[in-house]
Amino acid sequence: MRARPVHRFSFAERAIHWLAALSFLYAALSGLALWSHHLYWLATVLGGGVATRWGHPWGGTVFAFLVGAMFLIWARQMRLDSDDRTWLRNAKKYAVHDEAGLPEAGRFNGGQKMLFWGQVVLTLLLLASGVILWFPEWMPRNFRLAAILIHPIVAAGSIGMIILHIYMGTAAVPGSFRAMIRGWVTPGWATSHHPKWYREISKN
Amino acid sequence: MHTVAKLVDTSTCIGCKACEVACQEWNDQDFTISGFDGSYQTLPDLEHNFWNLIKFNELSREDGQMTWNMAKYQCMHCVDPGCLRSCPAPGAIFQQKDGIVDFNHDLCIGCGYCITGCPFDVPRLSPNSKKVYKCSLCSDRTAVGLEPACIKACPTNCLTFGTREDLIQIANARAGELKQDGHAGAGIYNPEGVGGTHVLYVLKDAADPESYGLPKAPKIPWTVSLWQGPVKWLGNLVFTGGILGAFFHYLRYGPKPTGDEEGIDA
Ligand code: HEM
Ligand code: SF4
Repeated sequence: MRARPVHRFSFAERAIHWLAALSFLYAALSGLALWSHHLYWLATVLGGGVATRWGHPWGGTVFAFLVGAMFLIWARQMRLDSDDRTWLRNAKKYAVHDEAGLPEAGRFNGGQKMLFWGQVVLTLLLLASGVILWFPEWMPRNFRLAAILIHPIVAAGSIGMIILHIYMGTAAVPGSFRAMIRGWVTPGWATSHHPKWYREISKN
Repeated sequence: MHTVAKLVDTSTCIGCKACEVACQEWNDQDFTISGFDGSYQTLPDLEHNFWNLIKFNELSREDGQMTWNMAKYQCMHCVDPGCLRSCPAPGAIFQQKDGIVDFNHDLCIGCGYCITGCPFDVPRLSPNSKKVYKCSLCSDRTAVGLEPACIKACPTNCLTFGTREDLIQIANARAGELKQDGHAGAGIYNPEGVGGTHVLYVLKDAADPESYGLPKAPKIPWTVSLWQGPVKWLGNLVFTGGILGAFFHYLRYGPKPTGDEEGIDA
C-alpha cells in the first residue's frame, strides 16, 4: 500500500528557497572568482572579469532580498524553544544517528533554526560590507579597509554553512530534497525527523 | 639586474609644474579642472587623469614668513606594492624586473581593491572607463631607452632618472651637501615599510616627511595583509574541510534512517 504524501513546503516557500539558492550560487561562484588567482577561471566561465565585478554585487543584493523574504515567512517558526536548546547541546548525537535521547523536533529542528539565524546575520554583514566594496569611490578609506577584511571572512563562513546545508538536504537526509522540490514527504519521514510537527498537522 | 628609479630633490623644486604638463601631454590626458581651493597647487589631489601632482605644502617659518615644502606626488613604485597584493585579476597589475609597477587596463576589472591596498592612496578609478589609473613611470618610454616625461621636462635637474642603486648614492650625497649648508635634518625618503620605493626623495627635513605631504611610515594596511594571508588560508580550510567532512561523514555514518526504507532489512 502506498503512503499518503504529507504536505511540507508550499509553492511560495519552495520558490523563494530556490531563487535564494540560485542567487547565492551565483554570488558565491562570482565572489570566489576574486578570492584567489587560482579560481579566476570562474570569472571567465561567468562572462569575464568585468561582468563578474559588475554582476556579483547585484546577485548578492538579490540574494539579500530573498533572505529578507525567508525572514518574513519563517522567522516566527524559527524561534528556538527549550527543546531546541537541548537538541543543540546534543547535536553530536544527531550527527552520528544516535537519536534516542534527543528531544523531538517541530517543523524545524535546532540545527535548521541555527542555520537560518546564522544566514540572516551573515547576509546582513555581507550586504553592509558588500555595498562598501561596491562603491569604493564614495567610501571613506577606513570603511573600505574594514570591508575588504570582513566581506571575505563572512563569505567563507556563509559558504561553509551552505556546504553543510546542501549535504544535509541531499545525501545525509534522504527525502529532504524531494520535500523542497515537490513539497511533500512520506509519513515515515515526518515521523522520524519532525514528529512534533507531524502530530500537530495530523490533528486537523 | 639593476632596477630603475626616479629621484626627487625637493630642495631644488621651484614649483614650475613643467613635469605636470609633460605627464599630461605624454599620456594624452583629457584634462579637466576638478576643484580650486585657493592654493597654488594645480588640483587638490591626484585624479584618474592627473598622475603627477606638485604639492604646494604651505608652512610658516620661524621668522613668521610662509614657505612651501614642494613635493612631487605620484605612484611610488613600491618594492612590495600593496596594490599588487590586493588585485584579484591576474596580470592587471604587474611588477617589471626593472621595478616599475604598471597596470594592464585590458585586464583590470575595476574592483578598486588596489585603491584600498595602496599605502600612498595613489590609484584612481575612472568614472568613464571604470578602470584604475596611475603613473606608469613612463614604462612606454623607459622600455625604449627614454627617460620619463616628467624628468625630461624638469628645468632645474630636481628630477633624475637612473638605476636605483646610483640614485640612492646620489641622494645620500645630496643630503650630505644640504647638511653642510645648514639643513641638519636633511636625508632621503625611501620608506622601509614597503620594502623601499622606486621613487626616492631628498628632503631638507627627513624626520618630518608629512610636511611634504608624504606619509611618515607607510605600510601595507594590516587588514589587507590579513585578508590576503591568513584569511585566505582559513577560508580554503573551511571550503575543503566542509566538502571532505561531508563526504567522510557519509562514508562513516551513511544517511539518516528515514523510517520508511522499502525492501531493506536493516
Ligand atoms: C549581499 C550583497 C553583496 C554585495 C553588495 C557584495 C558585493 C561585493 C563586491 C562589490 C565585491 C568586490 C568585487 C566584485 O564586485 O565582484 C565582493 C567580493 C566578494 N564577495 Fe560579495 N557581495 C554580496 C554578497 C556576497 C555573497 C552572498 C557571497 C557568497 C557567500 C559573497 C562572496 C564574495 C567573495 C568571496 C568576494 C571576494 C572576496 C575577496 O576578494 O577575497 N558576496 N562582494
Ligand atoms: S581595480 Fe583593476 S588593477 Fe585595481 S585591484 Fe581591481 S582589477 Fe586590479
